[in-house]
Amino acid sequence: MLKDITIGQYIPGDSLIHLLDPRTKILGAMAFILALFIASGPEGYLILTLFSIIIIILSRIPTSFVLRGLKPLYYILAFTVLLNFFLTPGVEIWRWKFLRLTEEGLRQGLFMGWRLLLLVLTTSLLTLTSSPIALTDGIERLLNPFKTIGVPAHELAMMMTIALRFIPTLLEETDKIMKAQMARGAEFESGNIVQRAKGMVPLLVPLFISAFRRADELAMAMEARCYRGGEGRTRMKQLEMKKRDYYALTLMGLLVIFAIYERLCL
Amino acid sequence: MDKKAFISLRGMLKAGLMAALTAVLAWVQIPLPFSPVPITGQTFGVMLAGSLLGKRTGCLSMLIFLLLGTAGVPVFAGAKAGLGVLLGPTGGYLLAFPLAAYTIGSIAFPSQGSPSPMRMGWANFLGGILVIYALGTIQLSLVAHMSFGAAFVAGALYFIPGDLLKVMVATFVGLRVRAILPRFKMEEKG
Repeated sequence: MLKDITIGQYIPGDSLIHLLDPRTKILGAMAFILALFIASGPEGYLILTLFSIIIIILSRIPTSFVLRGLKPLYYILAFTVLLNFFLTPGVEIWRWKFLRLTEEGLRQGLFMGWRLLLLVLTTSLLTLTSSPIALTDGIERLLNPFKTIGVPAHELAMMMTIALRFIPTLLEETDKIMKAQMARGAEFESGNIVQRAKGMVPLLVPLFISAFRRADELAMAMEARCYRGGEGRTRMKQLEMKKRDYYALTLMGLLVIFAIYERLCL
Repeated sequence: MDKKAFISLRGMLKAGLMAALTAVLAWVQIPLPFSPVPITGQTFGVMLAGSLLGKRTGCLSMLIFLLLGTAGVPVFAGAKAGLGVLLGPTGGYLLAFPLAAYTIGSIAFPSQGSPSPMRMGWANFLGGILVIYALGTIQLSLVAHMSFGAAFVAGALYFIPGDLLKVMVATFVGLRVRAILPRFKMEEKG
């Protein structure tokens, strides 16, 4: 069962969105979320919806992949919409026993649902179009200016890379330990809930011990190779901001300004 | 090195490995007969990060875990990922992880000696259940515009029996691993 999991939702490609610098995409996603929470009326939502549709088309990611990101949210989405429908006080327009649908509720429910939908669809595009390594690099570079106030940009990125490297290894290890313990008579998939919870112990103890042992071995190996942190490190792939990145960032800035204008003036 | 490093190399690697382990545990699921939501192993990662690495490194490892998810690695329960999950209705439960590990770490490491099973259990309960559900429910009610009570029923009520079981298992595993670790000379100074 553990083998079925594929790492990363990244779908390689060479669309305009793929080619943007990861820093641009991270900042752009943040700007979009900001605009989404500031916007309050139909005009704002219309612009933001059009914007999402356009970048989804530009990314040339099959729509089915984009929509797949919504799947885990169906339940909470329906819940939010219905709760807002029936629990918002206001002018009643429909009634069935104790359920009262109000005009304000209808409005608010649809807006909330739509906002969540846009939020998830657009931010999932960030990870669909950039590889985790590129994003890690982007996060390190974005955090660099904060180094002066003590944010350890390099260390954070390094730890992310290590975690990324060891996820498949530890997955395999989990599988191995489960099989080894099953051969010794452990039960993982039967019994009542208490027995199953207890069954986790012979899996978890060796798993954590082995992770600690790996950390120790890796530390020794890195010390032996004179690892000394991020200072003076050179890279094979340099991130570079191009003209298109500045255009994209300007566009995102305009979107936020529009949202503020819409909130205050329209 | 003249300047004191932010974190030792060993601490850094432990935090990285713990973040990876939490991701792996998120994929281990036990279906519950009486509740629509399965138990995931994710909270084991949080509780054990706090009770094995201590408050600082434990908190850091959970921060790395969240950053990984933000970067698109499907590390959240149900193989989800992305900023949308963190800022969405159910993101509060995840955003609480670093604080939860910090809370557990500060209780589970008494000033001297090793913690009693009772103390370890309390640490896991306060951090692993109280902190996570408090923050998670607040975000759910804010983002999805529900009352606090409705958010609690939707997002917490069904999980609590399973999580109480997990606290017990995590406490037991934490004590066992901490008893074994010195044998590998894993403990370091500073």
